[in-house]
Amino acid sequence: MSKPAMQLVNLKKTIGNKPIIKGLDFEIRAGEVFGFLGPNGAGKTTTIRMMVGLIDITEGDVLIEGKSIKTDFKGAIQHVGAIVENPEMYPFLSGWKNLKQYARMVEGVTDERIKEVVSLVGLEKAIHEKAGRYSLGMRQRLGIAQALLHGPSILILDEPTNGLDPSGIREIRKYIRNLAEKENVAVIVSSHLLTEIELMCDRIGVIKNGELIAIEEVRTVENEEALKEVYIEVEPMETAKTYLDTHLPNAVGVGSKELSMSVKREEIPQILKNLMEQGISIYGVRVLQATLEDKFFDLIGENSIE
Amino acid sequence: MSNFMKLIWNEQIKLYAKKATWVMFAVLLVIAIGGGLITKFFGTESDFKEYGDNWQTELQEENAQLTAEMQDEEFGGFMNDMIIAENSYHLENNIKPQPYDGWEYVLENSFLTSVISLFTIIVAAGIISNEFKWGTIKLLLIRPISRTKILFSKYVSVLIFALTMLVFLLLSSWLVGALLFGLNGLNPMVVQDMMPGYAHNDVLGEIAKSYGFSIVTLVMMATFAFMISAIFRSSGMAIGLAIFLMMAGNAIVAFLSQYEWSKFILFANTNLAQYTNGMEPMIPGMSMTFSIIVLLVYFAIFLGAAWAAFTKRDVAGN
Ligand SMILES: Nc1ncnc2c1ncn2[C@@H]1O[C@H](COP(=O)(O)OP(=O)(O)OP(=O)(O)O)[C@@H](O)[C@H]1O
Ligand SMILES: [Mg+2]
Repeated sequence: MSKPAMQLVNLKKTIGNKPIIKGLDFEIRAGEVFGFLGPNGAGKTTTIRMMVGLIDITEGDVLIEGKSIKTDFKGAIQHVGAIVENPEMYPFLSGWKNLKQYARMVEGVTDERIKEVVSLVGLEKAIHEKAGRYSLGMRQRLGIAQALLHGPSILILDEPTNGLDPSGIREIRKYIRNLAEKENVAVIVSSHLLTEIELMCDRIGVIKNGELIAIEEVRTVENEEALKEVYIEVEPMETAKTYLDTHLPNAVGVGSKELSMSVKREEIPQILKNLMEQGISIYGVRVLQATLEDKFFDLIGENSIE
Repeated sequence: MSNFMKLIWNEQIKLYAKKATWVMFAVLLVIAIGGGLITKFFGTESDFKEYGDNWQTELQEENAQLTAEMQDEEFGGFMNDMIIAENSYHLENNIKPQPYDGWEYVLENSFLTSVISLFTIIVAAGIISNEFKWGTIKLLLIRPISRTKILFSKYVSVLIFALTMLVFLLLSSWLVGALLFGLNGLNPMVVQDMMPGYAHNDVLGEIAKSYGFSIVTLVMMATFAFMISAIFRSSGMAIGLAIFLMMAGNAIVAFLSQYEWSKFILFANTNLAQYTNGMEPMIPGMSMTFSIIVLLVYFAIFLGAAWAAFTKRDVAGN
C-alpha cells in the first residue's frame, strides 16, 4: 500500500450557520485516480476549495504530502496542480502567455517544459491564439496544462470532462491514467456523472449533502470474480440455445441474435470454446459492468438539493 | 529575477496586453499635443514677445499703452492689470522677460497629473477585482506564493504604472513644448504669478515641486481605490467612490471646515503646497508635519484594510 498523497481529516466547512461539509475523512494515494462523485450541490467544489486553500477550513485539516494546507500553505500547495470549477484564463492573452504567467510563479518551469505540457494536452495549433477565442474544450485543455506545468504530485480536476466532446473525454481519460500509472501522480477528479469517470478511476468516493456516503474500489480483485452480464452474438440462435439450456440454465436469448448470461469472468473463455465446438459462429462478446452504476444510483437516490 | 519581481512583471504584462491601457497613454498624448497647439495659436501675444536689449524701455512703453487702453475701455481691464503688474515686477527686479518656452509648457501641464490620477484609479480599482471577474484569482492563489506577496506585487504595479504615466507626460510635454516654443536654455529662470505677488525661480525646481505635490493626491486616491477593490471586489464601486471623493474632496473640507476635527479629513491634507510660499493653511493649526503624519496614517489604514480583506477572506463563487 502506497503512502497517502493527500489526507482529509474530519474536514468541515460551515458557511454562515449552514454546515456545507460535515466531516470528510479519506485519503488519496500516490498513483491512484480518485473519483469524487456527487450530485449538484453535494459539496465537491467546496471540498476542493478547502484542499487548495482558497477557502478557510472550519474544522479538521487537509494534509498534502504530510503538510497541512492550513499551517504550511506553501509547503503543501507546491505539490498541487488544480482546476477549480471552470478553467478560467486571461481572455486577452494567448494560451502560451497564460501559461507563462503561471510558469513565472514557480521555480524551474522552462519554455521546453511548457511546450511539453502543451503537446501533452494537444493544444499546439491554437497555443498562440487569444484564450478568449478558445472553445470550452480548449480552455479545459489549457486549464489542465496550467495545472501540470510544475510537475505536481497531486492533480485536482473539478469536472474536467465538462464541455468536452466524447473524443476529448477519451483523451483526457487516457492521459489521466498515464499520469497516475507512469508518473505516480495522485489524481482527484470530481464529477456528477459516474459513467464519465468510472472508466478512469481506481476508487470512487461518493459525497451527498456534504457527507461521504461510500468509497468504492473500481477495479478490485473481488470485482474481477464478481458475476458479470455477458452478451454473446451467435448464429444459429436455436442451436446455441439448445446447447446452453442444458449447460447454462440462466442464459437467455435477447432479440434474435444475442444471448445474455451472468457468469464469472474466468468462465467466459470456456463457454466460448464450448459454443464453437458445437459449430456455432460467434460474432461478438460484450461484458457489461452496469452493477457499479446501479449501486451508486441506489446510494445517491433522488438528488434533493438541500 | 526574484520571485517578487516576476510577479510585478506578470502584472505589467497583463496591464499592457489590454487596449484600454494604451488608450490612456494616447489620451494623455493627445491632450499634450492639443494643449500645445492651442497655446501656440490662441495664446496671449505678450507671452511670446521677444524683447531686445532695450527691454526696459519696451516694457515701460507697453505699460503706458496698456494704462491708456484701460482708460478708454471698461472691459479687458483685468488682463491689462495683470500684464502691467508682471511688467513692473520685471522692471523693479531687473529681470529681462523671456518668451514662453517648452519648460514653461511642461510646468503648466502639471495640472494633467489629475488625469493621471484618474487613470491610476481605474487601474488600481481593476487590478484585484478583475481577477475575480475573470475567475483567474483561483489560479493565482493556488501557487506557492503568499497572498500578501501577490497583493503587494499588485500594489507596486499600480505605482509603477502611475510613475510610467508621469514620465510619459513629462517627456511628451517637453517634446511638444520644445518643438512648438523652443527652449530658453537648460534650466531657465521663470517669473511666476504667486497670487499675490510674483516670484523668480528656476524652472526645474518648480516642475519638481508642482508635479511632486500632485503625486500625493494621486497616490492616496489610487491606494484608496485599491483598498475598495480588495474589499468589495468590484471595480465599478472603487472607481466611482475614488473619483467622487477626489472631485468632491475640497468641497467636503470647505463644508466641514467650521469643525475643529475637519483638519483630520484626508482632503484637508493632500495639498501640501498649502504650506509653501508663505500661504495660510486651509484650517488654522495645521502644519506640514501634521499633514504628513495624517497622510501616513490614512495610507497605512488603506493598505492594512486591503491586506486584511485580501489575505483573510474566502475565495469562493463568482
Ligand atoms: N459561499 C456560499 N455561501 C452559502 N452556501 C454556499 C456557498 N458556497 C457553496 N454553498 C453551498 O454549498 C453546497 C455545495 O456546493 P458546491 O459548489 O461545493 O457543490 P458541488 O458538489 O461542486 O456541485 P456541482 O456539481 O453543481 O458543481 C451547495 O448547496 C451550495 O449552495
Ligand atoms: Mg462544483
